[in-house]
Amino acid sequence: MSPVRLTDYEPIIGRQTIEELYLLAEGLKGRRIKMVNSTAVGGGVAEILSRLVPLLNDLCIQTQWEVIKGGEDFFEVTKKIHNALHGEAISFLPRMREVFLEVNLENLRQSDLDQDLIVIHDPQPIAYIEGKGQTHAKWVWRCHIDVSNPNEEVWDFLKGYVEQYDVALFSSPRFSKRLTIPQFLFFPSIDPLSDKNRELEPEFIDRILERFYIPQDKPIITQISRFDRLKDPIGVIKAFRMAKRYVDCRLVLAGGEASDDPEGESVLDEVRTEAKGDPDIHILLLPPTNSLEINALQRASTLILQKSIREGFGLTVSEALWKKKPVIGSAVGGIPAQIIPNLTGALVHSIEGTAYQIRYLLSHPDIAKKLGEYGHEYVKEEFLITRKLRRYLLLFHVLFHPGERIIYFDKDAPPLPIAG
Amino acid sequence: MQVNPFYFYTSSNLVELTGEKADTLEELLVLLRRCSGSAIFYHVFQSYRERHFAAVKYHSDFAQWISNSLGEEVLAERLGALDIRDFTSIRALREAMMEIIENHLREHPGIGGQSGKTPFFFCQSVSLVMPTKHIAWGLDDFYRIVKDVGIRSIHYHLIEARLRLGIHTNDFSYWLRTSLEKEALAERIEDIDIHLHTLEEIRQMILQHVREEMES
Repeated sequence: MSPVRLTDYEPIIGRQTIEELYLLAEGLKGRRIKMVNSTAVGGGVAEILSRLVPLLNDLCIQTQWEVIKGGEDFFEVTKKIHNALHGEAISFLPRMREVFLEVNLENLRQSDLDQDLIVIHDPQPIAYIEGKGQTHAKWVWRCHIDVSNPNEEVWDFLKGYVEQYDVALFSSPRFSKRLTIPQFLFFPSIDPLSDKNRELEPEFIDRILERFYIPQDKPIITQISRFDRLKDPIGVIKAFRMAKRYVDCRLVLAGGEASDDPEGESVLDEVRTEAKGDPDIHILLLPPTNSLEINALQRASTLILQKSIREGFGLTVSEALWKKKPVIGSAVGGIPAQIIPNLTGALVHSIEGTAYQIRYLLSHPDIAKKLGEYGHEYVKEEFLITRKLRRYLLLFHVLFHPGERIIYFDKDAPPLPIAG
Repeated sequence: MQVNPFYFYTSSNLVELTGEKADTLEELLVLLRRCSGSAIFYHVFQSYRERHFAAVKYHSDFAQWISNSLGEEVLAERLGALDIRDFTSIRALREAMMEIIENHLREHPGIGGQSGKTPFFFCQSVSLVMPTKHIAWGLDDFYRIVKDVGIRSIHYHLIEARLRLGIHTNDFSYWLRTSLEKEALAERIEDIDIHLHTLEEIRQMILQHVREEMES
């Protein structure tokens, strides 16, 4: 990924917003911040940090990124913890806790804690908080996972650490827990300059569709998701067939296999069986590195679906909205945060509802266009990496002004307070 | 007469999760009674700012949830009809909203315990207010800056200001009236119906009124 400057985003978000970010950063210049996570490449957190850290440094906020080091046994434990936070029943053995803590403390010993702020991402390095007494830094736990229905034994273990932090950050109100520390809403974000989201030449899009043998002779409906039952690819085919009785269209199901899901291959077989060789259904198994191809498929689509049964935040919705595509999404996980019904998309609860919305939006292209345009504006407001940068800058100010609900920069002439 | 300049500020807010949620109208009422003023401020005045690109049916998150999740359109319409320009304190706004909901529950006693499609999550905000580099000394400056300044500044001075000042006006009108003695222009800006327009449309309306004043 090429080095990025904040000014690179000016054509996208406007000069006024860039100016405001510089203003927000003004009082934070020279502060030292450390971000800690568990992987340097691959996965959403690494993707976000690889952009966010250079942007913070570009604003003269000295930001380091540290990756926790551990052996196979450590990452086996953290994988189990991750699954348990999603509600899976596991045996959380004493040895697992020991491995988890040993690796955390070993990393902590080698870490420079002489910072103003330390942001720990997800559970893997959560026990870094044991170093709280060694530094004046404020501590932030950023949770990217839905912990609303966790395995209680594992959550109780982690909660003991979480509540030592100064604040916790969650991706959605429905993902959070009752805690004794303040919690803030931090939506995940997409990068409009990344290969997955940047503008593409129409000729390039045409070439990609030719390569995948997808004719552009009728409306294309697309779901980009790994082949996983929780993304309901069979339900998507059923909805497509119901809608196709009324409006002619094609379906593209594209994504990778779930590498950590032993059922991944059988799901793909089931999808192929359900498609029954229909020439209007295109099933594409793509490696995660095919960002440009995914971008082109989304841009060539008339409608985008995200008909998940269960979902994390579902950022593919924001990716599609950013491309001004009307999106039909299930009311699960973080999808309702991105789709405001009848304003930025259509929220559905069933296969029938999905089919109906496909018919409706293909028959009302003017309404579909408006949803896509509003969706684009909403993503610009809430789900771009620059918005995330603004949230972090605000958070840093909030942490350095504890207890203040309204922080006035201009202390000499503060406006009158809000009437109670 | 000595002219005081107009300092343009901008406001950003961080959304805090309170951990409180309502599944039913009765629960909403209980939480509405005890939530912080900051929560009401956020759900009625601030969250709308993130949807400023569209003239939505309801600005208030409460009315929106009652419509979308509970399907109680009559109540949503009654709450949506509250003109926030009529309120100069969170306390008065909270009481007005509670009274509307209580009356509705009295009229329809069976609906209070019915769960919505999705819960209402109570949030509140921490705001950060800071000066921009823009200062207006007269109407020409004011016109040029309003045309160019970030949309958050417009929201801050026109909408958030009412509660801050505790009077039925906004920062722009207050300055135009007290510093430039432009009473008619101040009134025209006060009369802009902030419910029916996007913030960009509102910006254009302010500019039009100022332009007319400068040409008169």
